[in-house]
Amino acid sequence: MEQIVCKRVSKSKSELLDSTAAFWKSGAKLKVETAATPLANQPSPYIKGVYDESKIGAVKELKLATVHNNENIFFYFEWASPKPSRAIGDINVFPDGLGLLFPMGDIEKTQIKEMGSKEYPTNAWYWRPDFKEMPKNQISHGLSTSLYTEKTSVQSHSSWDNKTWCVVITRPLKISGQGEQAVELKAGGSIGIGFAVWEGSNGERGGIKAFSKEWRELVVEA
Amino acid sequence: MAGEEKKLTDREKELAASFQAAKDNLRKCEKQVGMVMDLNKCIGCQLCSMACKTLWTNVEGREYMWWNKVNTMPGKGSPKDWEKMGGGYKVKFGGKVMEPILGKHPTRKEFGDMWKYNWNEVISNKAGEVHLQAKNPDGSNPDWAMNWDEDQGAGKYPNAFYFYLPRICNHCAYPACLDACPRNAIYKRENDGAVLIDQDRCKGYRFCLEACPYKVIYFNFVTDKSNKCIFCYPRLEQKVPNACARQCTARVRWVGYVEDPKSIIYKLVKVWKVALPLHAEYGTNPNVFYIPPLAPPRLDAEGKLDTTKPRIPREYLRFLFGPEVDAALGVMNTELEKVKSGGKSELMDILIARQWTHMFGPFDKDPATLERKPAQPGSFSRNDLTALNNEKNR
Repeated sequence: MEQIVCKRVSKSKSELLDSTAAFWKSGAKLKVETAATPLANQPSPYIKGVYDESKIGAVKELKLATVHNNENIFFYFEWASPKPSRAIGDINVFPDGLGLLFPMGDIEKTQIKEMGSKEYPTNAWYWRPDFKEMPKNQISHGLSTSLYTEKTSVQSHSSWDNKTWCVVITRPLKISGQGEQAVELKAGGSIGIGFAVWEGSNGERGGIKAFSKEWRELVVEA
Repeated sequence: MAGEEKKLTDREKELAASFQAAKDNLRKCEKQVGMVMDLNKCIGCQLCSMACKTLWTNVEGREYMWWNKVNTMPGKGSPKDWEKMGGGYKVKFGGKVMEPILGKHPTRKEFGDMWKYNWNEVISNKAGEVHLQAKNPDGSNPDWAMNWDEDQGAGKYPNAFYFYLPRICNHCAYPACLDACPRNAIYKRENDGAVLIDQDRCKGYRFCLEACPYKVIYFNFVTDKSNKCIFCYPRLEQKVPNACARQCTARVRWVGYVEDPKSIIYKLVKVWKVALPLHAEYGTNPNVFYIPPLAPPRLDAEGKLDTTKPRIPREYLRFLFGPEVDAALGVMNTELEKVKSGGKSELMDILIARQWTHMFGPFDKDPATLERKPAQPGSFSRNDLTALNNEKNR
């Protein structure tokens, strides 16, 4: 399983929660290939019947970097977006989006393609440009079951420049005791991670998206 | 994509079966309510629309919605040109195969946007200096709305014609919206078959707006969820008829259970066969039915009655209501003639509707007689669905 190493840095949250910061722009980034979600996994007979899998997943690649400061974890993403879609302006307009997915239990038994199952749920952090830098936290027990949680500690900072989205997503490593349903992260630990990206101008929303087909291992350095 | 054969893995086959089971479960209902509307009686007064607006859509985010509307036909309707927007099914092999058809999203301007009027400008200026004007939220002038082509009609004087077509959600037996929703948020209520959108599950993906061939689903820009006609189910639970039906000054609408031989709906649809679904070819099996308009006879060049052909071209009515419209209008004419010649007709007695309490089957309570209390939540259990969805998950 490919590893993504999250190094520890001595920087403040305000320095890191900045998608335009030189720290992110100049630092090394990992490339993650993304591909169309399979139509066979669509719970909607309509989508299965009329959508064309070859046209799903307009974004083919994400670039990412991740660090933590022992309190918060930060993920920085970049991806090409020639036609950014920032908000639901009309009924036929869909905003862009980005998602991080974590298995909440045994990674071997958690299907990334199905966003988990009843026994092995997943936790997603879902960013959209119209969420006012407050990404949603959601729990999924399999396809078509994801629900936003009331409480979320996920925050973001995003910018679009040079036909590219740059997004930083952050959350405290520890959330225990706060009544939030989400994965716990810790320095010195590791967890599975996956990614999804929606190109609004291609009509992508819900299960119509590009995603990383396999789990990767996020190693959070001590 | 449809037509392309791809070998499925065992897991994909399992998933397909569980998805199908989930949709079958959501479509299931013990009884089905329906509505019949007599287009010969509708006067286009929009009281039904206002009753619905007052009750359900005068809240933030729903201002532009008309869960009930009356369009003038022939016309482009609302959303504008909705009949050209696709959706629904291609029905094959005697109804055994329902192949979904790609649909298009209507835009908010095609529905008619949330206009604002310059009331303050008019009031604060001298009379005649500023005219009352409507503006869309983007500042543009409105160029479409719910009944924009009111009374436009077709044909030439003295044989011009138009008629009104009130529209609500058809609460279909095979709703395209229900099939389209990847969230399984859309379901038929078990005890009456009303099609509802679970607002806790809807995430505003709008596949339902794409798939509904009647384009009667709206998107709420405030809540980021889809909204639609709920067939006034909280009223039905209190045995009170739908607001649109109860408020109808022309007594155009009947409500009842579609499969109950004692209901007027059953009599009009199944026995007399004068009430027909709109665009049955869309394949969703609507539960709202229309009695097609007979219209007055034509006049010839000398101004005399010309009964050789109908005023409303039959081809147009067949386009709306299918080939069955010929037989339905034949029955209507026969029964009308009976009454004209002094005879009796059960059908005409039903359609005259002398007492409103006889029009709505078991839903004959006057809302004014009810103790006011909030509606109870529906009886559908989400746990059943979650269990089904996860039954075969590993």
